[in-house]
Amino acid sequence: MSVLRPFKATDMFKFNNINLDIWTETYGIGFYLNYLSRWPDLCCVQEAPSGRMMGYVIGKAEGVSTEWHGHVTAITVAPEYRRLSLARKMMRLVEMVTDEIYKGFFVDLYVRCANTVAIEMYEGMGYSVYRRVREYYGNLGLGKGGRDEEDAFDMRKPMSRDPNRRSVRANGRDMIVSAHDVS
Amino acid sequence: MSAALDRQIRPIYDALDTGSNKSAIVACNKLLKKHPQNELIKALKALALVRSQKVEESLVLCDEVLDSKPTNDAVLSAMTHVLRGLGRHKDMVTMFEEAYKQQPFNEELGAQTFFANVRAGQWKSAQQIATKMHKQFHDDRYLYWNVMSAVLQANDAATPPNMRTLLYKLAHRLITSSPTPSYQNNDRFYLHLSILRELELYDDAHKLLDSDIGRAICSTSLSCNQIRRDIWRLRGMIREEGELAEARIMNMKDRNWLEFLSILDATFSYFTPSEADGPSSSETSKSEGLEHLAKTQELFTRIAEEDGPKDRSAGLALLELEKRARSHGISQDSGRLVGLMQRYFDQVGDKACCFEDLKPYLALEGEDLARWTSFLEAVPSSFTTPAELRRLMNAHKLLRHNLTPPQLTVEAETARVTRYLDEYLRGLKLGVDLPPTELQHADDLALLAANVLVNLWKLTSDEQYLLNAVTLLEYALTKSKHSFQARLILIRLYRLLGAPSLALEHYRTLGIKQVQHDTLSHFILSRASTFSLASTGDLTLATECLESTQIYISNSQETSDFVVRAFTAEKYSQIPEFIVFEDRLDNSLQRDIVKMEHLRMRISHEPINSDIIDMELIELKFIFDRTHHDNRDFDIIANYQPRSSDSIHLQTLLFGKQESLGWLWTFLKLYIRALQQGSDLDDTVEEKLLIGDRPKQTFDADKRPPLKERLVQKSDQELVELTQDELSFVEFASALAEWLEPYHDYTRPPPSVVLAEAAKQTEIKTGHPLKGVDLQELNGATTPKKEEEPPAVTEPPELVTKYFDSLKTRFAEVRKNPSPTEVLHVATLAQEALLLFTVETLRFKPASVVKVNKLGGLVASFKCIRSEAISVLREISSELLKQSEAAGTQESRKDFTEACEIVTNAGIDHDFTLGVAKKVTDARKKVLEGVSKGLGRVSSATNLTSLRTCRTEAKLQQEHRSTV
Repeated sequence: MSVLRPFKATDMFKFNNINLDIWTETYGIGFYLNYLSRWPDLCCVQEAPSGRMMGYVIGKAEGVSTEWHGHVTAITVAPEYRRLSLARKMMRLVEMVTDEIYKGFFVDLYVRCANTVAIEMYEGMGYSVYRRVREYYGNLGLGKGGRDEEDAFDMRKPMSRDPNRRSVRANGRDMIVSAHDVS
Repeated sequence: MSAALDRQIRPIYDALDTGSNKSAIVACNKLLKKHPQNELIKALKALALVRSQKVEESLVLCDEVLDSKPTNDAVLSAMTHVLRGLGRHKDMVTMFEEAYKQQPFNEELGAQTFFANVRAGQWKSAQQIATKMHKQFHDDRYLYWNVMSAVLQANDAATPPNMRTLLYKLAHRLITSSPTPSYQNNDRFYLHLSILRELELYDDAHKLLDSDIGRAICSTSLSCNQIRRDIWRLRGMIREEGELAEARIMNMKDRNWLEFLSILDATFSYFTPSEADGPSSSETSKSEGLEHLAKTQELFTRIAEEDGPKDRSAGLALLELEKRARSHGISQDSGRLVGLMQRYFDQVGDKACCFEDLKPYLALEGEDLARWTSFLEAVPSSFTTPAELRRLMNAHKLLRHNLTPPQLTVEAETARVTRYLDEYLRGLKLGVDLPPTELQHADDLALLAANVLVNLWKLTSDEQYLLNAVTLLEYALTKSKHSFQARLILIRLYRLLGAPSLALEHYRTLGIKQVQHDTLSHFILSRASTFSLASTGDLTLATECLESTQIYISNSQETSDFVVRAFTAEKYSQIPEFIVFEDRLDNSLQRDIVKMEHLRMRISHEPINSDIIDMELIELKFIFDRTHHDNRDFDIIANYQPRSSDSIHLQTLLFGKQESLGWLWTFLKLYIRALQQGSDLDDTVEEKLLIGDRPKQTFDADKRPPLKERLVQKSDQELVELTQDELSFVEFASALAEWLEPYHDYTRPPPSVVLAEAAKQTEIKTGHPLKGVDLQELNGATTPKKEEEPPAVTEPPELVTKYFDSLKTRFAEVRKNPSPTEVLHVATLAQEALLLFTVETLRFKPASVVKVNKLGGLVASFKCIRSEAISVLREISSELLKQSEAAGTQESRKDFTEACEIVTNAGIDHDFTLGVAKKVTDARKKVLEGVSKGLGRVSSATNLTSLRTCRTEAKLQQEHRSTV
């Protein structure tokens, strides 16, 4: 039970319960304003009836010709609202907007290779690994999970404009590229 | 431009890009010898000068380039940066307008002119440019720019309310004149609908929405759908909205809570008959309504069963339905609400959000409350899985929420804390295998226990409870190192306990950045001058103040760029939001509370002279005209106190007082008045010396009473926000200002003299005269012989003479408190009073001034007051030193650990407690010692400067220009 609504600039005043969590980065105001000034329909918020923010997603549309797609830049849910399928609902919105408004071929996102819970969730939603990006997350250094901590999977899900599923592949986990090769 | 020259200019850009302004200036000078009239080189030099804080010299070049009315792209772009650096947005507009006039077919230039207006918030001229561009270039986008600008002008605080509708009507006329319909683009459509909504043209809006394309847009665009929902409701289509929502829920599996609310509103619309229905229809409407109610109930029940634990919407919708039915007196079954709550708890109780979900329904009484309570009490407290543990924690929170004062005795609360602690320590075992970055499942039990301990402290005023709380929370942080909730409470408690360095340490670990400085810095900076050691040269807190204000600079530099981008990308839905955001940050209450705190710290550190007085005065006067917004986030601390008592936020406020607008205004008035008396600047001089745009004023700014009157206005509503000690400080300050006003006014040199002196200094420094000042005219300006006699010297008022003595008494009252916070408050205010006295009496330092104005008698009474103040400060200082020594002993650590019986008995290690004890006692020792030393330094400095004269007009001009 949550309100799904557009992300507004003034939400920056009230996202602390989400952003104080260690896994969520707080960027400069320019970051959010940039997304909102270009892809406001790919940025939305889940809010509790009390008005407290529960989570948000920030996305964009990019790429040329058959690479034209929706990209999830950040998706996050406050600790107390996890396991309520909020991420799923926000992803559904991004997919719908990518498909119907931007007519993108696919939606993609990056996820830490060590984050098996998230990877499984995305797989359950129809995403598959397209490639592995080396050292995508440099900031935390090598943790317990070794390479899996700093490498990312680029996961994709084809949209209706790609009925033949040309934007995905079966052996994505073995396709390794370096962070410089991706945008 | 020749290719050769182009090649030579390249390195200047490189130097600017890498921040080597000096070498940029050198390179410019070299090229200017060969090309003395080249605008681009001049503009680049001006930019390098601005960036190296050489504002004076930059101004001269800047004006030269502007006078030449440049049209060249590179020059314009360099000048944009120069003017922005100087805060001259209005001149930027003029520059582009001039250029565009010369090249009316240059579309890019037209757009730049429009954007310059947007950046300066000049919506009216933005509209004119957009109109011109639309005529010239026939692009619909310019028509929409025009429409948007009209809307923004309507929303602007500088626009009188009666103009609003007119402007919206204009926007409406423009948008309907568009050759292409607005629905071709979602954001244009949104803009169109928002105008219709504002003008209450709901039928027109409905016509747009009721088309295939309108429906299609609303089904994919959240923002358009939002405005559609609004319009339908305003048009009285609540039931249609309910049907649409039902269709979305059923057919599209939409689980947006807004859809459920629409159904609920539609259902209950039968019970609040509108006037249109007529009186006779209310009965039929009611029976119809009951039928509808049953249907809705059936619908929600069905969805709840289908969704099961996957989605909580329908379960909560059933609760909301019952709650509303009760409030309409049409509930069929009195036991239903609690039954639904129980069912909800059974289904969602193992989710962390269950407590918050149920909160709106907890206001139960009598039978209901008893049933609910016994249901929760029966939740088993043995737990073997995280889910069971969460269920138990939810039960605790829900039960605690409904406790009444008789249930909140010391015994009962002590029993609760013991239980929570025990369960917390047992619950930790469920998380032994969690990675160190994760939070423990049992964390909320520690937070609950901390809430109870704080409540016990409030009930008994016994500090031991706070000591237990900090030990517990520190312990919890060793288990969940990223628990920000534990840290936030710790920050509050350490400040209450007079251990500010520990609070700061935790605050820094939170990693507050960017916009969070605005919403969260109150945790550490609220009344921070109480703990400031700036007087000893330790600028930790003063630096924290400055760092927290970086965000306001980013805001004024960046946000308008994104408004421009949103225009370029035609994202009209975002533009008003960005402007509100910019305004809320720019006029943030927290920003200026921090500014005030910083000033209070600054004067204890820097020598007080006319420069500091003049500059702070100008800044505070700007602040005084602002309309403030409170963006502080107080809801962030999870509150587990009963609804019958204060929230943990209120309970843990420093001195139990929350400062807000009233506090800010009181201190602003106090300081502006004192600084104004001490300053030679009057409005006419200030006008000449300031560069850059003045802040935008609201439409009714000219109806305000003059500043002088506003400064002495007092209201009880403002004063409630002050502590007792702040109140007496304010009384002292106003008595002091009242007393000295006539002498200041008599002694202050006339504006022409001040201006002449400033102009002279500028010319010496830059070789150019001060712009807009006619030196010839001023040349003869000397202090004329005064015709009136100087005001008779009067005795100082009692509020002034007795103030420091009363502080001694006050200090004796609070020195026995276990926490040093209160003594620090009294001590730092005493110090501030002495510093304020220095500000007020600085003018009368030079012997010549005293002699000429025959103020010998006045100065004699200053001496008495000052020496009295110094002796009190010294006394307090030595007492603080004693306390500091006592705070750092083994004895005090032992007392600490002994007081922590509650947590040590529960099983938290004694050595761990000792570690916390050491940290707390050391922190106390440090702050007491620091403030004590600071008092000593301020006293000695005050003693010394009484021998010095320090009015240095010379620096005045330079300082203004570089800071404003």
